[in-house]
Amino acid sequence: MSDIAEYSARADAWLQSVAGTFGSAARKGLSEAEDLALGRRYLKARYDAGYAGINWSPEFGGQGLTHIEKVAFETEEMKYGMPNTWFGISLGMPVPIMMKFCADKAFVRERVIKAMQGEEIWCQLFSEPAAGSDLAGLRLRAEQDGNGWKLNGQKLWTSYAHHADYGVIVARTDPTVQKHKGLTYFWVDMRAPGVEARPIKLAGGDAHVNEVFFDDVRIDDSNRLSPVGGGFAVAMATLMIERYVATDSAGFGPHLDLFISLAKETKINGKPAIEDGRIRSAIARNYAMRNGLDAITARAMLMMKAGMEPGPEGSLNKLVSVRSRQKLSELAIDLQGTDALHYDEHVSTRDNWQTSWITAPTGRIAGGADEMLLNTIAEKILGLPQDHRPDKGVAFNQIPA
Amino acid sequence: MSLLYDEGQLAIAAESRRVLEARVQFGHLLPLLEQQGQFHAAFWETVKEQGWTALALPEAYGGLDLTLIELGLIAFQAGRSLSGAPFLTSSYGAARAILDHGSDALKHEWLPKFASGDAIGAIAFAEGQEVVPGAAAVTFADGVLNGIKPAVSAGLKADVAIVLARQAGTPVLVAANLAVATRQGFNTFDNTRCTADLVFSDTPATVLISGQAALDAALHILALQAVVTAHEQTGGAEALMERARDYANTRRAFGSLIGAFQSVKHRIAELYGLVELARAAALHAAAREGHGDFLKAAAAARIQATEAYDTAARDCVQIHGGIGVTWEGGLHLHMRRARTLAVEQGNMLFWEDVLVDQLAGESA
Repeated sequence: MSDIAEYSARADAWLQSVAGTFGSAARKGLSEAEDLALGRRYLKARYDAGYAGINWSPEFGGQGLTHIEKVAFETEEMKYGMPNTWFGISLGMPVPIMMKFCADKAFVRERVIKAMQGEEIWCQLFSEPAAGSDLAGLRLRAEQDGNGWKLNGQKLWTSYAHHADYGVIVARTDPTVQKHKGLTYFWVDMRAPGVEARPIKLAGGDAHVNEVFFDDVRIDDSNRLSPVGGGFAVAMATLMIERYVATDSAGFGPHLDLFISLAKETKINGKPAIEDGRIRSAIARNYAMRNGLDAITARAMLMMKAGMEPGPEGSLNKLVSVRSRQKLSELAIDLQGTDALHYDEHVSTRDNWQTSWITAPTGRIAGGADEMLLNTIAEKILGLPQDHRPDKGVAFNQIPA
Repeated sequence: MSLLYDEGQLAIAAESRRVLEARVQFGHLLPLLEQQGQFHAAFWETVKEQGWTALALPEAYGGLDLTLIELGLIAFQAGRSLSGAPFLTSSYGAARAILDHGSDALKHEWLPKFASGDAIGAIAFAEGQEVVPGAAAVTFADGVLNGIKPAVSAGLKADVAIVLARQAGTPVLVAANLAVATRQGFNTFDNTRCTADLVFSDTPATVLISGQAALDAALHILALQAVVTAHEQTGGAEALMERARDYANTRRAFGSLIGAFQSVKHRIAELYGLVELARAAALHAAAREGHGDFLKAAAAARIQATEAYDTAARDCVQIHGGIGVTWEGGLHLHMRRARTLAVEQGNMLFWEDVLVDQLAGESA
């Protein structure tokens, strides 16, 4: 067995030993507060077992291994439905950004360890009502106030902000220059006076995203993580932190095996649906596509192991997998006929076609809309020109509304 | 075998690209479309001279003892450059049939000639809409074949054909020397494939394998060819994606490069996705040869590659506008090849069924 296979086997043995306490069966029927509390206990156990901060520097309490071990662990962990979603953003982007850009290393180390243990949660305050795909169009203001700053404005779609202790935030510090150049990056205390997070209920019934209001929120200049006007570069660095995370060619929806089982149990014109050409074609096309994604991921892992930089084709995963999950979920609902109308919003999107279907649009929009991913592929990988952008070269406060 | 190419494999990829780009051009291929039974001689000479015919055959028979991965790399480039003949794939299929199921005498007779390229092989399984007919119309009895195998790729030029026939009601796979068979050529939309009906009339043939095992063997040979073809299709799709990109980066309309318009750039970005999925799947399938899941991997690669090449042909022409549909522009060479490759070695419907049978069996 290779070192990685051994590592995976060890990780899996540990995960199995705690699955009864924390896994999907144990989470069934829990309220949000109960599940979060269980999640905090799981993170503490994971930290104690040595599976937190796997590829982070020991300087900050990490394990000092590589991203190969990290992805190997995540791949095993994904099988058990552990209550880790509350901490996905926190440990995914804001905490690594703090490690990279915050000067006060002792402070960061304390935060990183508490975040790994599930005691503290960080959120990422980027999008706004008028700035989603066009992030650099954001308006929340940071104005100089003595030797610090004062924040005023609104963020939107901020995941888990209502549970967050800290956040990283991009704010406009100069509206008189071009939009990308007037932004600055800070961290904020989410418990500070003037910060208010209000959960927004999404179509699927859950409320993990928030609108967050900042009303004269005072922060020190030591909270600044970028040069003044240099915030956009740090925001872009966020996107480059983890180019390869544990991916899922099912688009975080049900596995194709579930669809095949459904096709065996249901009938079309009195015959098993698995014998129907339309259903067979959908199964074959989906399998072929997911098989391609899995092969891309497997190759990327081998490249990283060999010390090479994986190709940009890894960026296809979210685009292709979530889109296909959406359509396959529709077809699965069709297959069930009127039986499909039963609905339980609390069932996992991995086990249920209805919840998979109704939450799929979020997957195609959050973290880069399909259209933005296609732009990125076209412009960054293929070298095609940018679309016409009337805001180019114009001071932010002169852009036509 | 790994999903990462080693240095030797990368060298094969680079060298085949250099040689084929120098020797095969649109200008050579266009006139051949209007001539029945002509292949691009310079292409086939190059294949032989470079030793690509020997690549995946055993050393004992003059081969180089390499694998489906290396052969796939050549096929990928042949797809990019639009191969001028189908023989690399057809001879490989015939050689594998004889290697895996033939007598020593048959191996010694044919394999060295396949390795040198002196002999050309063909696969004659399909009959119309049936890709692997369980009860073939062509019959085998008393050592001779009778009947017609329709539309056999390379049929006009092949020296030997591997024929799926029926012997006293059971399937049988035989090798037939075509020196004594009749070939009836006809016009296809891709004439360099040298497609012909093979007419057997008391044509002597040698049994390779019979019964259900003959059908399994035929499917395995098709799967091997399908993996080679998936590489070729992916190469063609990549060439089209690049042509679409290059055109969108030079053609102007409404005061802008057309590649700036999202309707155009997104179409090309989608092609990039299809090409990369097909590429990864083809290599994965080549690396799975000899494993239990090979048929599944081959079917998946084949489906993904067919979708990639057809879509690339469709969309590349669309992005070119009027110039894309001219004879001289030559994009129709890829349209023709995409559809031809989609049908040879089993169409999409066939491979979808093969794949679903595999998957449904697993989850049973």
